Amino acid sequence: MKRVVVDPITRIEGHLRVEVNVDEGTGQVTDALSSGTAWRGLELIMRDRDPRDAWAYIQRVCGVCTTAHALASVRAVEDALGIKIPKNANYIRNIMAATLTVQDHIVHFYHLHALDWVSPVDALAANPEATANLQNALLNGYKLPFVGPTAIPTEAYPHDFPAATPQYFAGIQAKVKAIVESGQLGIFSAQWWDHPDYKLLPPEVHLLAVAHYLEMLDKQRELVTPHVVFGGKNPHPHYVVGGMACSISLNDGNAPINTARLAIVDRAINMARTLANNYYLPDLLAIGTAYVKAGKVDGGGLAKTRVLAYGAYPIEEYNGTKSGGFFNNLLIRCNGVVENFGQGVANATFTEIKPEDVSAPEVFTESVEHGWYNYPDGDSKEIHPWEGITEPKFTGPKEGTGTQWQTLNEGGKYSWLKTPKWRGKLCEVGPLARYIIIYTKAQKGLLPEPTWAEKMMLDQVNAVSGALGLAPEVWLPTMVGRTAARGLDAQLNAEINKFFFDKLIANLKTGDTTVANMEKWEPSTWPKEAKGVGLYEAPRGGLSHWIDIKDGKTANYQCVVPTTWNACPRDDKAGHGAYELAMMDTHVAIPDKPLEIAKVIRSFDPCMACATHMYNAKGERINVITTDPYSGTKIEK
Amino acid sequence: MEKRESMWDVYLRKGMSRRSFLKGCVTLTSLMGLSTASLSKVVEAAETKPLPVVIWIHGHECTGCDESFIRSASPLASDVVLNDIALEYDHLLSAACGEPFEAHLEQTIQKYRGQYILAVEGAVSTKDNGIYCMSGGHTFTSMLQHAAEHAAAVIAYGTCAAYGGIQAAKPNPTGSSGIAHFVGRAPVVNVPGCPPIPEVMTGVVMHVALFGTLPPLDSENRPKQFYGNRIHDTCYRRPFFDAGMFAERFDDAGAKAGWCLYKLGCRGPETYNSCGNIRWYQGMSYPIQSGAPCIGCSNAHFWDEDPMSQRMPEYGPLGNVDKIGAGLAAVTTLGVVAHGAASVVQRNKREEEE
Repeated sequence: MKRVVVDPITRIEGHLRVEVNVDEGTGQVTDALSSGTAWRGLELIMRDRDPRDAWAYIQRVCGVCTTAHALASVRAVEDALGIKIPKNANYIRNIMAATLTVQDHIVHFYHLHALDWVSPVDALAANPEATANLQNALLNGYKLPFVGPTAIPTEAYPHDFPAATPQYFAGIQAKVKAIVESGQLGIFSAQWWDHPDYKLLPPEVHLLAVAHYLEMLDKQRELVTPHVVFGGKNPHPHYVVGGMACSISLNDGNAPINTARLAIVDRAINMARTLANNYYLPDLLAIGTAYVKAGKVDGGGLAKTRVLAYGAYPIEEYNGTKSGGFFNNLLIRCNGVVENFGQGVANATFTEIKPEDVSAPEVFTESVEHGWYNYPDGDSKEIHPWEGITEPKFTGPKEGTGTQWQTLNEGGKYSWLKTPKWRGKLCEVGPLARYIIIYTKAQKGLLPEPTWAEKMMLDQVNAVSGALGLAPEVWLPTMVGRTAARGLDAQLNAEINKFFFDKLIANLKTGDTTVANMEKWEPSTWPKEAKGVGLYEAPRGGLSHWIDIKDGKTANYQCVVPTTWNACPRDDKAGHGAYELAMMDTHVAIPDKPLEIAKVIRSFDPCMACATHMYNAKGERINVITTDPYSGTKIEK
Repeated sequence: MEKRESMWDVYLRKGMSRRSFLKGCVTLTSLMGLSTASLSKVVEAAETKPLPVVIWIHGHECTGCDESFIRSASPLASDVVLNDIALEYDHLLSAACGEPFEAHLEQTIQKYRGQYILAVEGAVSTKDNGIYCMSGGHTFTSMLQHAAEHAAAVIAYGTCAAYGGIQAAKPNPTGSSGIAHFVGRAPVVNVPGCPPIPEVMTGVVMHVALFGTLPPLDSENRPKQFYGNRIHDTCYRRPFFDAGMFAERFDDAGAKAGWCLYKLGCRGPETYNSCGNIRWYQGMSYPIQSGAPCIGCSNAHFWDEDPMSQRMPEYGPLGNVDKIGAGLAAVTTLGVVAHGAASVVQRNKREEEE
């Protein structure tokens, strides 16, 4: 048995360490731990501040899924205060959310995940002519022809098309060769390029994917221009409680939003659809098919047992989360939990998440048995986010010192993440969860009148199942399935973006240009105490923000984010979280080069800064606080 | 040490003439503010000086600065990363991870001792020996100190690295601070912003790659070319401020007409940044242009200058802003002085409260 440590895990957001015990004979992982190794305490920082500012602070949880936390935050505050945002604001927020999802997925696939599958070194052996032929074959064979209800077609033809000429690929290959021969590999340094997994793909796939890595690095920036138009910048666009700050006027030259600005948004949306259809999905299916055909259908883990989602995209403006407005108005009704999908859809069960569940003290909770926190009434106590407690309690590693770790202690505390639970159970979240839930609901007759988006999801799943020749319950809950679901989600969200853009234009046509409801802007209009929750199906999965407002100030703020669900430490009763189970469900060929471990972890698109800052709370006992920047040179014992 | 490509090598490889190389050196010399007597030194440096090696490390951060960096349009991030610098270590883009990645960091530090640029994103967590920010099994603090010790220069990317940022806001649970006190003698370039503008981030690296020197800095070590103006000085809504035309609340007639956002809390008057001139996405917008008041994200302690939606109560002892900007030049000048003073009063008030 060999203990393998991978720290830092790179090409993710934040600081993540994993440790696995590998049987060197069989390559089987017998135990795995996932540790978030940094904690910033943002929820403590939220205390006593103006709830109308919360979005700005809490958005800084994460700059990769920027916008996600701002959106969940304004939704939480609006739920607490009973603010109904205007129609236009709902559409604009949905456009910003869909924009994030597509851009984030593309960056994940090409820049954070691709180098687990493809290698610039292997690309050197490719024949440029054969690569051009491969590109044509992919466009012929692997495009998924699904579109949403386009009301106003604004694109004459697909402007962004992959080049399929030998000269193009020869040029890319020459650049890669120059880098490799220079001895300065830069970002390509020190990877396990000789790992046998890279040989699962022919050299031409490597060259094609490296070329698209570079192209997408240049193009991803253009996909987020809707954030720049509506929110002023990206990363970290601006929001306002009650709607959006970007006033619309078709009569004023200096208006934040007018027709010319909307045209920028329209162009970005069209581009996202084209990139998803012409680059992302064909590349994804080429790689995924090769892996599945090679028998690589491991890495599923918790997805086989339990997945969770809150539901996505309120179609129209709504009144509150607790009261049900959010849940009654969803474009994708994936609010629920599917258990035992891995045993076949006939054996799977679906449990809906209902409005009353968010307030019930026993449904959504967090405990800290293996997290570096202390609960006054016992670390295994399951506490609702509105009552959340934060008391950091670092206990050090199993071997090494507090500041020089050898191995962490899986028998005790080992992570800055808490362990979130749904009815006492651990769940996986993410695009994979959304697809499993919608598919299961449809198969069980629980989606009698699917929305166009739900129908598109079912069509996508069926198309991929056909291409792979496998049933959804076989390919979806796997490492490849997790990565594939993200690609399908990108195509879906690109269409959703167009859907809400068309709705925005249609509403502007009626003469309604309102973007903010300022009726309850002044704290004097607020109740003495109010609690709220904001839900959002973020790119990485279900995100919830919880706020308790007292006397016009934030008394308590808590986020339970996708990566906390997935990367959490184990629980003595409920078992392992999604990262740990996925690693334990992954075969490792060479323990000294655990590429498969890094790959299966990256299939979740980790976002550690999100995951480790979820701890608000009351924090009464944290009263020794260093604020002097000079004091860091001192060693505190 | 392995031979690395110099600017002259690049000219050779690209088939450019000695004459054009020398012309480039003359341009460089004047741009760097050196006299023509220094030309021979510039030529010598450009002939032998290798392309810059960059090590990019992460402390307490959100990766928003990395994301901003790759949003750059000119230069494109792909050109920067594959052509203009050798990015040998970066948690976001590097292929490798774990032990071989950490070993590569150490090799890079040793191989390019005294020559590499250290880019730092994120704050240093100082409380409890730095255990709130661990990477590779050791503290970020120790990693920063080690990497900075042998760096030619350090770039503090973002408000977190420059001043501590969001995690250093009250009550600063992890004792976070900017990096300046942990980098030893290496010169530091502060590039604040949450995040900084993409082209400002790549601009600093491009300056080093093109001119072989750090950009000229102001007294707070910020590149003068990007932080020389207050947003207010270059804001396209400035005429409305001067004319006393303000949005009174979000989405009112003034907000739709694009009037000044001062009364909604805009921090433009005290914020040094390029949002008003370079703007975001090559001039596409910046928060004010999209109707959102500036939150002052490149200022040292902006997170504790809340609430964001208010300027000082009733705009301080200097009176109501409506009386300040009345269109007349003299009054306008008074207005500028007045709200400059108001900002100081506001800051003093905050410090008193602390």
